Amino acid sequence: MTTLLEQTCASLDMVVFTHVGSGLFRPESVLPEWMLGLLGAQHGTDAYDLVDAFPFLSCFMDEARTRWQQGLSHPVRSGSWVEAGLPGSEVPLEASALFVDGQEVLILQQLGEKYRAEVALLQHVRDGLLNQEFLEAEVRKRTGEIRQREEDIALKLISLTSFRDQETGAHVRRIGLYAAAMARALDWSEAEVDNIRIAAPMHDIGKIGIPDNILLKPGALNEDEFEIIKQHARIGAEMLFGTDIPVLEMAAGIAWCHHERWDGSGYPRGLAGEQIPVAARITTIVDIYDALVHERVYKKAFDEAEAVAIMKGLSGKNLDPGLLKVFLYLLPVMRRIKDEVREEEDSPRPVAFETGRN
Amino acid sequence: MGKTSLIQRYINSLFNDKYHTTVGVKVDKKMVSVDGQDLMLMIWDIAGEDAFTQIKPAYLRGMSACIVVIDGTRRNSFDVALSVHEMVRQQLGELPTVFALNKADLKGEWALGEEQIRTLAQLGHPILETSAKLGQGVGEMFMALARRLC
Repeated sequence: MTTLLEQTCASLDMVVFTHVGSGLFRPESVLPEWMLGLLGAQHGTDAYDLVDAFPFLSCFMDEARTRWQQGLSHPVRSGSWVEAGLPGSEVPLEASALFVDGQEVLILQQLGEKYRAEVALLQHVRDGLLNQEFLEAEVRKRTGEIRQREEDIALKLISLTSFRDQETGAHVRRIGLYAAAMARALDWSEAEVDNIRIAAPMHDIGKIGIPDNILLKPGALNEDEFEIIKQHARIGAEMLFGTDIPVLEMAAGIAWCHHERWDGSGYPRGLAGEQIPVAARITTIVDIYDALVHERVYKKAFDEAEAVAIMKGLSGKNLDPGLLKVFLYLLPVMRRIKDEVREEEDSPRPVAFETGRN
Repeated sequence: MGKTSLIQRYINSLFNDKYHTTVGVKVDKKMVSVDGQDLMLMIWDIAGEDAFTQIKPAYLRGMSACIVVIDGTRRNSFDVALSVHEMVRQQLGELPTVFALNKADLKGEWALGEEQIRTLAQLGHPILETSAKLGQGVGEMFMALARRLC
């Protein structure tokens, strides 16, 4: 029987110990070469303090004791751990505790190939995941670069009109941020939120096609002049349509429809209600808000309460009542944007612009 | 990712660029001297958590201190590190801990933002930037922990 145990243990590269009390274990099979080095100074004694030799076992002994107290012959396993063997070598081990024939048994097994196979499998899977993660990060990075380029192009386009009308860089940024806050509250995807942040400020880009004598006229416009200025919506849309770039498609819709009114009395096409693209309806609301709470050459700045009262008066007429409710719910956010993105932060206005105004 | 490399750098002054997965626990030792006092560090390199492996609570028994390694280049490493730290905290209470923001040699590619670093700082433990590749911060990290154990 002893020979059978010896041969079995040697074949499985394991050592069977029995617990003799006081945390000491007596080997019941021959100690293999790899274990002698790991036992260190204890080697040569009758019973070993295995927890001292293998500190990892300290976190397994509670489970082992429970198994022995339960008198169960079904083993409980520690899970694998690795001891540093000879310099540069590793010894993967696993402990099992079981109760056999009245004996508290602890088996230490060198996992060898079994461990290496498990590591190789996990390594393969994780390498695959890492590669996928790397590719995803690369796609995110490239997508970010493309978005940045789109935004730069959009800002350049907007700056073209800034040379000619009175809108400031801060106004342009605020319109984008207000609109993005609305979109986020409406649970749009991050890509769509980004799109409207970039697209909404382009709503007046068509003004570039309006003659100076009308666009920059200080007084009230007559009917003919107003008809001409109304064309900026169509001109802007024509400038922006015709690409497959989602942000420009959205910008085109906004440019075309931001003077449409919920009740159908707007221009250029007299669209009503949900015929008007939602991005345009949002832009209309935030553009009116920003215009009301800031000073213009033709009016003073209204305080927030006055602006809100005016906007509520436009609900269901100019403005989508549902979206206006969302806007009013977000008023603290809008106020923060208004306060944080101020005219003073603008880069110096081009001289040509100032000259043009005068 | 990077735990084993940090330990290898510290124990054996070695670095291997290739990623080697850890299964279970690897146990290493190093004798250090802190203010003239000898201290044997028993270093347990515990396999990280992902979809395939979870840290067994039993592995944490008897732990005196811990280093939580965050791979600065990987987005979810921060979340995993926080959850591991919380697991340690719940099981063992507040232990001397150091957060290692690893792969400092690739700082230009870090996915870790200011906000995440602020979140870590709020946990009240030292945060060190480390690089197993360059050896940056590695000895300092273990010694910082060793000092807190004396």
